[in-house]
Amino acid sequence: MIWRVIALVTGALAILAGALLVAHESPIVAVQTLIHGSLGSPAAIAGTLRETTPLLIAGLAVFIALRAGLFNIGVEGQLIMGAVACTFVALRIPNALGMILGLIVGMIAGALWALPAGLIKAYRNGHEVITTIMLNNVALYLTSALVSGPMKDKTSQDTATPTVDAATRMPWVYNHPPVQANCALILGVVVAIGLALWLKKTVAGYELQAVGANPTAAKFAGISTQRVTLMAMLVSGAIGGLAGAVQVLAYEGRFYSGFSPGYGFDALGVALLAGTNAFAVLPASLLFGILSKGGTALQVDGVPKGITTVVLGFLILIAAVIRYRKVNTVA
Amino acid sequence: MLTIALSAPLILAAMGGFTSERGGVINIALEGMMLTAACVDALAAPKFGPVGGLLIAIVAATSMSLLHWLVTQVYRIDHVISGMAINAVAAGGTNFLFLKFGDEARKGNLPSLPSWFFYTIAFVAPVLLLFYARQTKGGLRLLAVGSDPDKARLMGVQPIRVRFFGLLATGVFTGIAGVELVAYTGVFTDNMTAGRGYIALAALILGGWRAVPALLACLAFGFFSAIQVQLQGTAILGVHVPTELWAALPYLVTIIALAGFLGKNRTPAGLGRH
Amino acid sequence: MKGITKCFGAVTALDSVDLDVAAGGIHAVVGENGAGKTTLMRVLYGALHADEGSLELDGKPVRFGSSREAIQAGVGMVSQHYGIIPALTCLQNLILGAEGGTILNIKAAAQRAEALAKRMGFQFDWNSDASTLSPAGAQKLEILKLLWREARIMILDEPTAMLSPADASALFESLDRLAADGATIILVTHRLPEVLEHCNRVTILRGGKRIDEKAVADTTGSELAQLIVGGALDKPTTHRQISDGKTALQITDLSVKGSRGDLALKGIGVSVRSGEILGIAGVDGSGQRELFHAIAGLVKPTEGNITLDGVDFAGLSAADRIEQGVRVIAEDRHEEGVVEEWSLDENAALGLQRLSPFAKGGTVDSTARHAMAQKIAERFSTKHGGLNLPMASLSGGNQQRFVAARALCLAPKLLLAFQPARGLDLKGTQQVYDGIRAACAEGAAALVVSFDLDELLEQCDRLVAMNGGKLLEPLDGQSKDRDAIGRLMVGAH
Repeated sequence: MIWRVIALVTGALAILAGALLVAHESPIVAVQTLIHGSLGSPAAIAGTLRETTPLLIAGLAVFIALRAGLFNIGVEGQLIMGAVACTFVALRIPNALGMILGLIVGMIAGALWALPAGLIKAYRNGHEVITTIMLNNVALYLTSALVSGPMKDKTSQDTATPTVDAATRMPWVYNHPPVQANCALILGVVVAIGLALWLKKTVAGYELQAVGANPTAAKFAGISTQRVTLMAMLVSGAIGGLAGAVQVLAYEGRFYSGFSPGYGFDALGVALLAGTNAFAVLPASLLFGILSKGGTALQVDGVPKGITTVVLGFLILIAAVIRYRKVNTVA
Repeated sequence: MLTIALSAPLILAAMGGFTSERGGVINIALEGMMLTAACVDALAAPKFGPVGGLLIAIVAATSMSLLHWLVTQVYRIDHVISGMAINAVAAGGTNFLFLKFGDEARKGNLPSLPSWFFYTIAFVAPVLLLFYARQTKGGLRLLAVGSDPDKARLMGVQPIRVRFFGLLATGVFTGIAGVELVAYTGVFTDNMTAGRGYIALAALILGGWRAVPALLACLAFGFFSAIQVQLQGTAILGVHVPTELWAALPYLVTIIALAGFLGKNRTPAGLGRH
Repeated sequence: MKGITKCFGAVTALDSVDLDVAAGGIHAVVGENGAGKTTLMRVLYGALHADEGSLELDGKPVRFGSSREAIQAGVGMVSQHYGIIPALTCLQNLILGAEGGTILNIKAAAQRAEALAKRMGFQFDWNSDASTLSPAGAQKLEILKLLWREARIMILDEPTAMLSPADASALFESLDRLAADGATIILVTHRLPEVLEHCNRVTILRGGKRIDEKAVADTTGSELAQLIVGGALDKPTTHRQISDGKTALQITDLSVKGSRGDLALKGIGVSVRSGEILGIAGVDGSGQRELFHAIAGLVKPTEGNITLDGVDFAGLSAADRIEQGVRVIAEDRHEEGVVEEWSLDENAALGLQRLSPFAKGGTVDSTARHAMAQKIAERFSTKHGGLNLPMASLSGGNQQRFVAARALCLAPKLLLAFQPARGLDLKGTQQVYDGIRAACAEGAAALVVSFDLDELLEQCDRLVAMNGGKLLEPLDGQSKDRDAIGRLMVGAH
């Protein structure tokens, strides 16, 4: 087994290094650029943390579903639905109240977007991966129609909503541009701690993990696997929606076409890398944040950003080979 | 005609999904395989001509599908995770390769095979697959492995071998599908598959994992895309229908089908099992 | 077959067993569950390799490395669990693995299939899905699969286990015809009437040893029943006075649908008094599993009532029943009893997670859980390397000790124990049954299923037998009579 893992890792590294060499780039220089661009200066670190925030919260959304044995690939869709719903509220209700309501409505929207997948999984045994992929695409077109139609900022050329008033947005903890830190990251950490405690300390958390680990034994233990599946999907969707709402209120300030560059998909990698512990989502999302921010630096340097996505793909594979070999999630 | 042009890549990808999923391998990586083929064709065709481009693109897509076979069947990791990872590798890899080497291909007007070539394959393939599934030893074994790998093993059929050939075919079909996309538009653009792999999967599901119904579902989806293109901005009966509605329709219909409101569930029972 | 020995780990499943089967005719192999019948057949079929012993076919020594080689040599087996794939058509199932060519000649295959079926007196709609087949139809198709592969020696493992009496007799009619045509059939069964009516010779296995071989004409049902269960070992049994206990569990007219749509339980009625241990004898698959699932609330009965201490269980969820004091020692501890990747500590609460002291108002009390886990592990001296290690690190026997102790730890009212001593040595077995007895002394009632009649006779207060989804109570005064019970469980009245 260990040799197979080593073979896979070596193969992946060889492909990456080979690709860079063929492109006349030094792999070593590329790694240096990546690290310098993401951790080399306070501004770079601030940018990395900004990238980390949505990955952390969305990663937690995938994580909690995974604990219940569900692959919520739909976090992408739940995230953009949460973002759109939050923008809608925050544009109409000002100040702190608007911010809080925006976050809550974002969570509700995310949960509602996960509801069909949860229902179909729990009561029709339809695979959640397929339903959530479909829901992602519907969300993409729905939000795109909204921002080019009813929610569009009429004064602008962009297919985007108007910008949310600064007073309604989430406050900066440290604000000396370009070095900025938003309380959104703290919120993400709080959610991680909350989830970790909930899983460890409550009977509901215990039952959720029992369903994820061994659904048959869970049934014998008097647990309604259908109810737990539905609940896990809703909680996951709510956190996914929160990720979108936070992204609007903390950083973007508005919703626009192409809002998420694939946070929901990267989040799956984050959660797979993190494994069984909610706290492990923190370093995993940071790693993905570094790759994302560093990828931008590579791009500037003439190495296409896509190479970091390739790295992510191989990371997911390797993490899965090590950790998820025995899992049988499929109906 | 527009319908046929828009359906052909969907049909080809759906047939790739057919040979994979009927053998029990969940394949959400159709998207990535198509994208890989499209990119490789755009890079190779200027140098090696349209046929050379097609062949190299097929090899590229096949190597992605065999990577899927390797990690799901030999390493036995979850099919969905593998599919996600392959999509990521394809999206990132094509971005990298094309930005780095695509100067020549960006000029446009890539040499390509005539469109009737692709249309012919797209409409003949489902019929051939229907015949293959019903009338050949390989087809029977593919269906058996997709329904119950354990019982098939009991009858002396090796799932890992059957699935290898299934995924090999997936690589060929998605390869042709990707090349068709480039042939149709004449250029490669970043993420140019734009969800077509998922729509093909949706069509396969709607077709109850059967070749000819999947073909019809692809045609229906292609028809709606054609409507979307032609109605761009015009109103129907005085109501302005957002074009996005037509684009989202295939996915909505698939969700309703998965909820079991459209006929019986035909999911291959061995999907995802080892 | 000569001197076949097969060990699984420390367990000797077959101890130098001889089996001589004459060509032509039906040869029965009988014995209790665990006697080694299926293992012996799997060795013959090449699915298992014997540790010792030799195989001769038509006087020539042979070795089967795999089932494929056995099939080529003309040996075929229909296993207890059907090998039919429901999504394929009957014809596709028939030819799978022996298709004959790259392109299928469906017409020729259908003709040959029809000819085979006609020879056997079967009727098939070859192009319909196999999912439409009845259990009897599936069994017949399995037999045709052997004929399709031109098997001369056919092994049938419990072919009538899921068939109605009418279907079973039709099946035997065709087997008789096959035997008359010169085929050799080896029939593994629990059911003595089948042996007496249709077989030529019978080999009796018990505890992995060949006990005897007889010509059917020279023996009787009661003699065979005695040979199967081994009458000589009768131990003095403990009789406790429990007659004063009030009725705890009352089941009336309970029917449950099985996985194939037929009734797995057919109108069962039984009552268990508080303080009583009721043993359920019977061969595997007689409905014991479904009975437990129905009581625990895992399946909905189609008919009938269950009450415990006067509380009607209709409308109570599995969780509610656990709260009422129902505890299950599950049959398959890996799948049903534990979460293997969890620690012992976490597993201690599984099934009891909503009860005090494991839960305190919706939150997990990990201190109390740890203390309970300690107690549970100590109760039957589970050997473990630490309570925070995963359950998977324990051997099967130690997992069983843990699961049994967990079921007993919070004053159960009703114990449903499925083979509670599975994988345990004599001392462990005694400990677990002593534990059950102690719980009953505190007022609990217990239902124990075991395939080992001796174990039940020794440990239980009263015995009933299950056979084909029915529960049979022995006559008054015979509830501990091994011959009477033995006859009930094999269907020989």
